[in-house]
Amino acid sequence: MLASSVQRSKPTPYPSKARSALIRRTVVVVLVLIALTLVTISFRSPRSGPVHGLQGAGSTALHPFQIAATRVAQPFRDAYSYIDGLTKAKAENKKLKKELIEYRAAQIRAAAAAAKEEQVVKLLHFVQGPTFPNGYRAISTEVTSFPSGPFTHSLTIAAGSANGVRLNSPVVSGDGLVGIVSNLFPHSAKVTLISDPNSYVAARDLQTRVRGGVRPGAGGTLILDQVQKTEVVKQGDEVVTDGTHNARLPDLYPYGIPIGRVTSVGVADTASFLQVQVQPFANLGSLDAVAVLVPTKHR
Amino acid sequence: MSLADGVKAAVLLFVAAIAQVSIFSQLHVFGAVPDFLLVSLVALSLLRGSVAGAAGGFFAGLLVDTASLGTLGLTSLVLTLAGYWIGRYGETTGRDRAHAPFLSIGVVTVLYELGLLVVHFVLGESAPAGAVVRSIGPAIVLNLILTAPVYAVVRRLLRPAEREELSAEVQLLG
Repeated sequence: MLASSVQRSKPTPYPSKARSALIRRTVVVVLVLIALTLVTISFRSPRSGPVHGLQGAGSTALHPFQIAATRVAQPFRDAYSYIDGLTKAKAENKKLKKELIEYRAAQIRAAAAAAKEEQVVKLLHFVQGPTFPNGYRAISTEVTSFPSGPFTHSLTIAAGSANGVRLNSPVVSGDGLVGIVSNLFPHSAKVTLISDPNSYVAARDLQTRVRGGVRPGAGGTLILDQVQKTEVVKQGDEVVTDGTHNARLPDLYPYGIPIGRVTSVGVADTASFLQVQVQPFANLGSLDAVAVLVPTKHR
Repeated sequence: MSLADGVKAAVLLFVAAIAQVSIFSQLHVFGAVPDFLLVSLVALSLLRGSVAGAAGGFFAGLLVDTASLGTLGLTSLVLTLAGYWIGRYGETTGRDRAHAPFLSIGVVTVLYELGLLVVHFVLGESAPAGAVVRSIGPAIVLNLILTAPVYAVVRRLLRPAEREELSAEVQLLG
């Protein structure tokens, strides 16, 4: 059986294969050539010619179908647009909220910087102004810690002995007297404010030349004490530091540093002195920049 | 391909072209547009071979160019080649392969986009290569999403051709 010869069937010819390949290639070549011709004609004369006319006619014929398709798809497109818009709106809302927070923070920073700058400008005016005391130089510095409550009447500044600050040096802001250096470190110093219960500053009424002493009063105000009832002090008068009158007993504060403005003047039968209330010029609760007044000559 | 099949294919491509121009062209997802027409053409080419693919591509491209008032023949040229190439793939190595439609769509989407880019560039028209390249990824994904349902519908519409109907240059003889 195995040795017997087997008659192989005659291979089937594929006459159609070559033909179909030829047809296929011919079709694609012809179509590509037509397409290229159309592209060339359309590109060369995009606004006129037979192809343009043909395209216009075709477009007109297709127009109703396009409109129909658009109308059929309109509800779906509306739904898609709604969902898409909602998604985008949510994302945009989130983004805008984030931006708003950033802008608020920036605005607060800018406002804080502006407020600080305002204080620095005032301080500069004071330092460079005519009321700046002679024989002193200013060491401008930042406030690093603030009065934290009603029981604290001091603050810390970012300048110390290494910067030339000396103990008992007066400290001013652009508005007026702040206090005095009560403790000194190489790169910082403690400033006791004029609102401290132990503070006492020799002062005078700038308008009436009446002398007295400024000490803390109630509610953040100051009292111009030791003013005789016979003296005249008027509401609205400015109170400044009195300065040194006796070279042997020099005052800690030079003459002319603004302290505050008289807000009320009272006379009590039982009191020995006038009751003069002074509103300090310096806002002792929100100081950012101050200047330490250091004598140019050693005492 | 019988006359009935030809009519069905023509209607299919006509609907696909109109839908593409009127509906799908407005669906921008991540910078890409789903190409319903291309997916339909690929399905037709895989099921009916290269001649039907090339003719269908030419016809569909002509419709698109006419409806969108673009340069006539431009889309035809690219779709003709795409239909022919996918048709050849369907006639030979892609025959009866389940992954053939998806593979074809993945490849032809890239080639179609790049082909259009090249043709526009050659004609001196606007050819934003960066935008096209960026949109290719999303376009592939969108077209792949369309592939399964579209292929199923087209397959139902045009029953797979008998082997004898398809060209078989790479057929193994045994």
